[in-house]
Amino acid sequence: MSVATAIINLLVFPGFIFLFFYSLFCEFIDRKVYARLQNRVGPPLYQPWADFLKLLSKESLVPKMANRKMFTAVPIFGLAAVVTAFLYIPIWSSNSLYPFTGDLIVVAYLLTLPALFLFLAGWHSGNPFSTVGGFRVLTQLFGYEVPFFLAILSPALVAGIWSLSDIVQYQLDHVWFICLLPLSFIVAIASLVGKLERIPFDIPTAEQEIVAGPMVEYSGGRLALMRLMVNIEMVAGAALISVLFLAGFDVPGVHLLGVPAVIVGFIAFVIKTLFIVFILACIKALFARLRIEQMVNMCLKWLAPIAMVQLLIVVGLKFAGIL
Amino acid sequence: MLEKLVGWSRVKSPWVCHLNTGGCNGCDIETLAALMPRFDVERFGILLEGSPRHADVLLCTGPITRQIKSRAVRIYEQMPEPKFVIAIGSCACAGDVFWGCYNVLGGIDKAIPVNVYIPGCPPRPDAIIHGVVKLLGALDPRYNELLEELKRKGEIHVSGE
Repeated sequence: MSVATAIINLLVFPGFIFLFFYSLFCEFIDRKVYARLQNRVGPPLYQPWADFLKLLSKESLVPKMANRKMFTAVPIFGLAAVVTAFLYIPIWSSNSLYPFTGDLIVVAYLLTLPALFLFLAGWHSGNPFSTVGGFRVLTQLFGYEVPFFLAILSPALVAGIWSLSDIVQYQLDHVWFICLLPLSFIVAIASLVGKLERIPFDIPTAEQEIVAGPMVEYSGGRLALMRLMVNIEMVAGAALISVLFLAGFDVPGVHLLGVPAVIVGFIAFVIKTLFIVFILACIKALFARLRIEQMVNMCLKWLAPIAMVQLLIVVGLKFAGIL
Repeated sequence: MLEKLVGWSRVKSPWVCHLNTGGCNGCDIETLAALMPRFDVERFGILLEGSPRHADVLLCTGPITRQIKSRAVRIYEQMPEPKFVIAIGSCACAGDVFWGCYNVLGGIDKAIPVNVYIPGCPPRPDAIIHGVVKLLGALDPRYNELLEELKRKGEIHVSGE
């Protein structure tokens, strides 16, 4: 692959520019579904772009108590981490741009980084609200990370390999993992809600208690980048779950070659990620916020054991020679 | 071109922050009612933000008391430019029944510059939306058409204008 193609891949498609438009579109879908479920009209289509542009054009303040370098660096590093995570997820075929054995672990690792950067953002803002928010981010991390990893590892266990491409290929040869591992799918969605800090797990950014959590002191362009980071994290998480459980680009019964296959695969990918975003929006409209210890209890007492049960079933079936 | 785009985005996404500077809570209840699903101000891109750092518009209710003055100025200064202030209710406009009290300085404009005054005790939610749309109309004349449309649909009742 030449350098020019690599740069176009990184910056245009499926890299930064595509992700910029697609993630803001997902935010629009999320807000619109949320509004419709509350019997409202909701924001117009251009709303997320207007918000982003407005924030970019505003003054970006740095508080006197904040650590200027870290305060500026955190949104950029967080954005880079989630964009990189998306590059390893297969979109239009069973191969991603740079597939290798074990890319599932890299994606899982890169999707953990935003929580760390949010904590750093809170810590270096020099504001009590953001510091408390940062601690809550880390506390919550120990809650949702265990069930999330257990849930996304069960497809890898069934397929017997750590590579996302081979997991998709296994689903093409056999059956979608949502049919085989429904419990893991539910646990993965629930812990993704925790990862994205959305209702009912929006404890770190709880508006009525600590204003906006780690993002309290952010304004202008830096805030725009932080919001973009959260949006792209949502797209990357939804894409990861759609690849692991809904076979990514696959449309059952349709077998094409060449350019039409890429187009159909891409459309299938968009529909599947939007389906996950739709589920997330419904969860946001249906539930109320939990307290931090209720959240950790729920994750470690219920979600993690459910994922373990699913793993035990998988291992049992493997030993029985059915899988 | 870029300036036009930035102006457009500014008009399309006014995020508000709500501050009670010493009122009786009546205007606060009406302000929150205006932000409820019934009126659905997210149609115009209006979002309620907790932090003044995220906000473009400061909604002030109540007269300025001696105690809140320095805090109100600090909150105003914490907002990034460009920023606007809307005074909601008769107290916020000029002090109203609290005028002349030993602890009251007067309207919001005694402490920070105000862009829009919304009289009423308390103003109805549609009056508050009317005021916000007027502010947007000052930024972009096309919003005056929206105002006419809202009046025609009966979503906003204006008497004596």
